[in-house]
Parts: sequence; C-alpha cells; structure tokens
Amino acid sequence: MIEIQDALRKKEIWAIGGGKGGIGKSLITGNIGITLARMKKKVLLVDADLGGANLHTTLGIGVPEMTLSDFLNRRVENIQDVIIKTSIPNLSLVSGAQDFLDAANPNFAQKTRLLRHLETLDADYILLDLGAGTSFNILDFFLFSDHGILVVLPEPTAIENAYRFIKSAFYRRFKKVVANQNIKDLIDAAMDQKNNMGIRTPYDLIERVKSMEREVGEILELEVLKFKPKLIVNQVRTKNDIQIGFSMKSACHKYFGINVEYLGYVEYDDCVWQSIRSKRPLAIEYPYSRPSRCIERIVHNLLRKEQLTLSMLY
Amino acid sequence: MKKIEDLNYYELLEVSTTASSQEIHKAYERIRRVYEPNSVALYSLFTPEETDAIQQRIEDAYRTLVYEDNRRRYDALLRERNELPELPPLPAQQRYQSPAYPPAYAAPAVNRPSERTEPLQNAAPSQQMQEAVAPMSQLISEFTGPTIKLLREQKGLTLRNVADTTKLGTRYLEFLENEVFAKLPARAYIRGFLMLYAKVLGCDPMRMSNDYLKRYDLAINSLKK
Repeated sequence: MIEIQDALRKKEIWAIGGGKGGIGKSLITGNIGITLARMKKKVLLVDADLGGANLHTTLGIGVPEMTLSDFLNRRVENIQDVIIKTSIPNLSLVSGAQDFLDAANPNFAQKTRLLRHLETLDADYILLDLGAGTSFNILDFFLFSDHGILVVLPEPTAIENAYRFIKSAFYRRFKKVVANQNIKDLIDAAMDQKNNMGIRTPYDLIERVKSMEREVGEILELEVLKFKPKLIVNQVRTKNDIQIGFSMKSACHKYFGINVEYLGYVEYDDCVWQSIRSKRPLAIEYPYSRPSRCIERIVHNLLRKEQLTLSMLY
Repeated sequence: MKKIEDLNYYELLEVSTTASSQEIHKAYERIRRVYEPNSVALYSLFTPEETDAIQQRIEDAYRTLVYEDNRRRYDALLRERNELPELPPLPAQQRYQSPAYPPAYAAPAVNRPSERTEPLQNAAPSQQMQEAVAPMSQLISEFTGPTIKLLREQKGLTLRNVADTTKLGTRYLEFLENEVFAKLPARAYIRGFLMLYAKVLGCDPMRMSNDYLKRYDLAINSLKK
C-alpha cells in the first residue's frame, strides 16, 4: 500500500534563483526546506550553486564528505550516495561541489545526468538552490523545475539582475522550442539590447518571428503564457518595499507579457545575520521572528498555489 | 499578448471594465506610482522616454474613465472595436453621473470620440424616471429606514452606487437603512448623511432627515430609559 502511495505521490521541484549574488537565495531555500520538513513533507535540498556552494552553512552543517562533485565526476554512480541526512527530520541535503574549477562548469552530459537522477529521487519536494548570474547551467535548472522562484531585493541592482534573469530564461526557453536555425539566430540577436533590428521587447520578437513563420510565433506566444516565475522580495524594510513586488508584477506583465506571481516578502531583521553568524538556521534559532513568519507565509502560498494580493496589504 | 501602447485604458489601469469610479481612482493612484520616472521597480526595463509616454497614457486613461460621460463615450468606442462585450444600455439612473469636465478630457485627438457616439436616449429616460419617482416620495407619510431602502431599489441603485455618489461608506448606508441606530455615529452626522442620501434619491432632504431623526430620537430615548 505504501509503495502505491509513493508512486502516486507527486514530486515537485522548485528552483530558487535571482540573478544577483548575496540576495538571500540560499538562506530562503534552506528555511523554506526546514518549514516544509516541519510540515512532515519529505524534502531534499540540492545546492546547485556550482562553484559557490554554501547551502550547508545556512543549515549549520560543516563541509560535507560527499558532495555533488563526487557525483558529477563519477566517483559515485548514484546520486543517492551523496545525500546527507540533516539533524532535522525529513530534511536531507545534497551539498554543492567543493572543487575549484571543473565543477562550476559541468558539461552537457554531466548536467543531463544530474537532472535525470534528480527526477528519480524519492521526496515530496526537491529544492534547487541556484547560483548567481545567468549562465546556461543556472537557466536550465530554473527552466527544468516545476516552479521557478526569483528572489529580489528592493534595490536597483538586484531588480536589474532579476529582469535580466527573466529575460534570459525566457529567451532560452524560446530557443528550446524552436527548431529553425534562422529563428534561433534571431533570438540570439534579440538578446542584445542594442540590436539594430528594432527588437526591444519580447513582443517585438514574437511579431518578427510571426512574420517569418506564423506557427512558430504562435507557439512562442503559448510559451509566454506558460512561463510563470514566482517572486519573493527579500530584506523588506518599508511598506513601499513590499509594494515593489506588485510593481514588478505589473511591469513584467506590461513589458514581457508574462504573469509573475508575487509569493511574498521577507522582512529585514537583525536576527537573520545573527543566525548566519551563529551558523544555525533562522527557522530553528528564531522560529517566531518576523522573517521566519514571512517564510512560513511564502511556503503556505506555494503549497496552496496562491499569491499576495493588494487587498492583503491594506 | 499586447504591446503596451495597444492596451486599452482598463487594461492599462489593471481594472475590470465594470470597475466603480472609486476602484478606478485607487488603481490610478497605484499604477501612477509604479510608472513614475524614478520608480525602482522599473529599473533597466524602460527608457525615460518610454516611462514618460506610459505616464501620459495613464493620465489620459484616468481622466477618461473617472468621469462618467467620458467613460461612456470611451466604452462605446471600445464596443465599436469589439474590445468590450455589447451591453444593453443601462437606464441612466443606474449609475451616478458626475459632471464631465471637458478641459480635463485629454485623450489624443484621434481617439477623441465624436459627440454622436453618445447614446442619445440617455437624457430622456432619466427625466421620465425622476417624474415617476418624485410623486412616490411625496406620497410617503414617513421616511423610515425600510422606506429609504425601497426608494433606492425603485431607482435601481445599489448601495455601492449611493456610496460612490455620497462618499459615505456602504456599511453606514446599510445601518441607516436597517435602522441599526446603535452603530451609527452621533446625531449630527446622521443628519448630514441623510441630507446627502436624500439628494441622491431625489427626495426633500429636510423632510427625510427630520422624519428619520424623529424615529432615531424615539429609539435612543427608549434605550436610555
């Protein structure tokens, strides 16, 4: 009976990214994981930040013996062998690579092997902690997941990177569904903001593709509708900061034509850096702090497939 | 998927086509802040010229939708373009008509609908309805909460409509109609509320407020005893 339930159980993969470094991706991933584990869900955290792994530190675990690089370099055959049990029930971790050069840039075969193995793992939720930047590896993990979650700070730098991330992910997805090489080249060219074809927004691009091949343009339009990244605003200090999430949602809808879901925000609080200094997870050290509460709310929204609405604010 | 320049005014302000003027005002306040020149949420997405253009359109949208007359003309225009479902024309009294301010209507000349798009039958029914209702209110011997409610329903007005016009909260209007005296504010305020409400209903404000307050005093005094 249990086996049937296991088979029926729908596994979900969530990827947490955001473009900029130091915006709290690992912290949020770790604490979402702990919150889920507390709700008796089987959670696996995967540190997919190749080359800059520190998810284990936010969980208060020292440098692990087995890491993702052992799997990538085939020192172990099965990804099961690199899973580490944490002190929190239901929560396990695949720690990120600790090697210097190779692991940060896995080749295509290594990446597909990793993704294939991830799909076979037994867990309710697999959380991928992505690295900074918009490299193809990061984008592919983001697009591979069931829910792509973007973390952003209420600061121009982080917002700029978030938009660049959305745009890159978006165009990468376009390129995957298109077979025609000419259109692929067009998408590449459109990535350059200063292109001389007058393509500024995804809308322009789709119009251009439609003029080349109508059906492909329509497929891309469908892709736009399917692409629904989720948004978390971290380090919120004022009400206006919370508002930024709604503003970005509006801007994304008008500029990219995509529906971003505003999952929630995490309030700024000194207890966050204190918990990092003491190398103990926020959700365990300060479970009743405002940031912990915010993360709980985000998890609830994720599980119920809901998002923040304006009326909740006032 | 639509280009930002092609969004209609409702889509631009992110309101439904049936939004009340209050909702439109709120949405405008919000959207205006999103697209202000130094808005951090737009950083790197739009050029300053683009933000200017969007802002101008938001202003146009607001001035068009918030005034009932302008909005009706705009709706007619949208219907011509099949962007709005065809509606049976509402009786004029169902929506409160705020006066249109021609100078504030700043839609681009191309979009400005000509006068003839305005439904012609609008003026007539409103007068008819007024005549039909006016004798009714004179027949009433005493204005009580339920009679006020009845009068309102006869006019085809919802609480929301009255609230939009009088700027009174729907809760207070409900308390007035249901005579929940305990939850109403001080007597002087109730008088003011009733005067406003009477004007919407087209009744004599003095008569309505005096009648109602007589009942109010009776009820309050009996409570004190």
